[in-house]
Amino acid sequence: MEIRGLSVGYGGPPVLELDELTIEAGEFVSVLGPSGCGKSTLLSVLAGFVAPTTGTVAIDGQDVTHVAPNRRETGLVFQSYALFPHMTVRRNLEYGLRTRRVPRAERDERVADALRLVHLSDYADRYPQQLSGGQQQRVAIARALVTRPRVLLLDEPLSNLDAKLRRQMRHELRELQREVGTTTVFVTHDQAEALALSDRVALLAHGGLEQLGTPEELYRAPRTRFTADFVARRTCCRCARRTGGARCWAAPSRAPSGPRPSRCVPSTSCSSTPPAPRPPTVPAPGTVPRAHGPVRGLHGRALRVPPARRRRHRAARVPARHAALRRGRAGRDHVVRRRPPAPRDGDVTTPPVPADPAAEAPASAPCGRRDAGASCAVTSRRSRPPRSSCWRSSCRSPVSSC
Amino acid sequence: MLAFLVPLAGLLVLSLRPTDAMNNPLPGLTLAQYGEVFSTPYLWGSVVESLWLAVRVSLTCLVLGFPVAWYLARSTSPVGKAVVFVVTLSPLLTSEVVRSFGWRVVMAGEGPVNVALQALGLTDESLPLLRSPWTVFLAVVHVLLPFAVLALSASLGAIDANLLRASADLGASGVRTFRSVVLPLATPGVVAALVIVFSLSMGVYVTPMLVGGANQSLAGLRIQTEAMVAFDQPRAAALSFVLLTVTLVGCALIGLLGRAAERGRRG
Repeated sequence: MEIRGLSVGYGGPPVLELDELTIEAGEFVSVLGPSGCGKSTLLSVLAGFVAPTTGTVAIDGQDVTHVAPNRRETGLVFQSYALFPHMTVRRNLEYGLRTRRVPRAERDERVADALRLVHLSDYADRYPQQLSGGQQQRVAIARALVTRPRVLLLDEPLSNLDAKLRRQMRHELRELQREVGTTTVFVTHDQAEALALSDRVALLAHGGLEQLGTPEELYRAPRTRFTADFVARRTCCRCARRTGGARCWAAPSRAPSGPRPSRCVPSTSCSSTPPAPRPPTVPAPGTVPRAHGPVRGLHGRALRVPPARRRRHRAARVPARHAALRRGRAGRDHVVRRRPPAPRDGDVTTPPVPADPAAEAPASAPCGRRDAGASCAVTSRRSRPPRSSCWRSSCRSPVSSC
Repeated sequence: MLAFLVPLAGLLVLSLRPTDAMNNPLPGLTLAQYGEVFSTPYLWGSVVESLWLAVRVSLTCLVLGFPVAWYLARSTSPVGKAVVFVVTLSPLLTSEVVRSFGWRVVMAGEGPVNVALQALGLTDESLPLLRSPWTVFLAVVHVLLPFAVLALSASLGAIDANLLRASADLGASGVRTFRSVVLPLATPGVVAALVIVFSLSMGVYVTPMLVGGANQSLAGLRIQTEAMVAFDQPRAAALSFVLLTVTLVGCALIGLLGRAAERGRRG
């Protein structure tokens, strides 16, 4: 899917302007942004409900800018699901096939397949209002997928679910997308959702593209202050007035291999004198790298921690952050605190979190073998500081594997 | 409820009274009045005529009211909405008498319609438009259209716009969306509009009398004639009850049809 020179305005000044956005086949791209940034407009343009003032939209190399919505072959999943209340689940799914005049036998087969895919085979003859929110949402996705759309468009499909279900559904959504392989555009205002689900994230702000990249890039190398603030709030440090001389960057800066943010502005409230550079610590393979700078509490205030304890604190923080990043994917956040006290994170050199939870499995194995008896960083902080990359396993099954 | 049922019961009793030679009600109960109504074409013919008028009026109001109601429910332009709303409801804002006299003026022998028809060369002499049943039909539609629009726009406005988008996104054309999504979801509104317009036009009285005169074969006018000219109150009451029963049966049929349509689409 290619978008070029797009400009959209509802008869007034443009509310959305995009120079270029290309979405590869089979890719899962999140469109992330605060409300009013134009992300819903973008989706309406892609689905064909809003005609752009200028620019083109092409799907599979075919220009569809002026193609009516019912001929675009997009699959749109609404925030409110928009299931037809007067039709059963089966009829809802059949609808898109009937309009395409799919013969009955094939229709039945495809509907059955789609229902199986979303685990709702037993609910085919119910009406939407007889289903729970999560089930309705799965019906909406199945209804969009059963027509085999060229692009699946998701408009904040998770925002009407409660927090627990949301995490579960976003995991299922990603699995489903992998299974089907449909190119997917996922609109959301929830950065955790976007980071957890996508191959790439397009961050929109003020009707324009702020940054496009993998979740890893956006999180670790935010190009603008807005990105740093919106996506990776935790890497943006707040300056503590009490620690004179510290210089705060809006993103992790002095990690040995971490990319340095190019346009992050030093916090104005900080002293301009940068602290004396420390010799870069090159972490031994598989170890948790150390944090730099003083340990800080919740609001960026330096904690007066005795040197002996400091180390433990730092080590403990690392898993918390990465677990937070991974929270959506794995759906486990019982070990993650809402706001880890790590405003200053120099230590992002830990290997990137693999997108697939299955890939994490090997990491826990050596850890368990190497230091048997060591408890895990996140779950019990009072024990010895963990060695090796045991923090990964800690989040999966806390004590037993270490 | 009581204020409605007590007079109705009184009317029922009255319709069962026998009468003397001067049409005065006598004590006692008899079905003679109903027998009279069903054996006199002058009387039962008027009920059939009323029924036929009501069916035509309700269907016409439905067809004319639907687009207007759709516009009122879906339009995003507040000015356009306000204009359409006021124009649609204007018949309700004027007295029925004034409105009916308006039709008299328009449809008179030397009225604008006749003048226009002659100017266009469609007819040579002025037509007796006021005596035509179609003028009465038009006037009644004009009176009752606002009710249909109000009932329809309420139920059309309740349809989630996203359902229409979803339908389009699933490949449905406008016609298909209308047939498969809009119409089924608007069924309650359609039934409501039909019931309101049907029952009102069954009993319509002032407008036909002022537009077409008292000599038409319509149940409302016949009841008035029986009660006020012939002073045969029991017979007028009996005719009223026949009219009321036919109206109720008609409304029940409309409701059943609506439900059958809903079920048919589901099954």
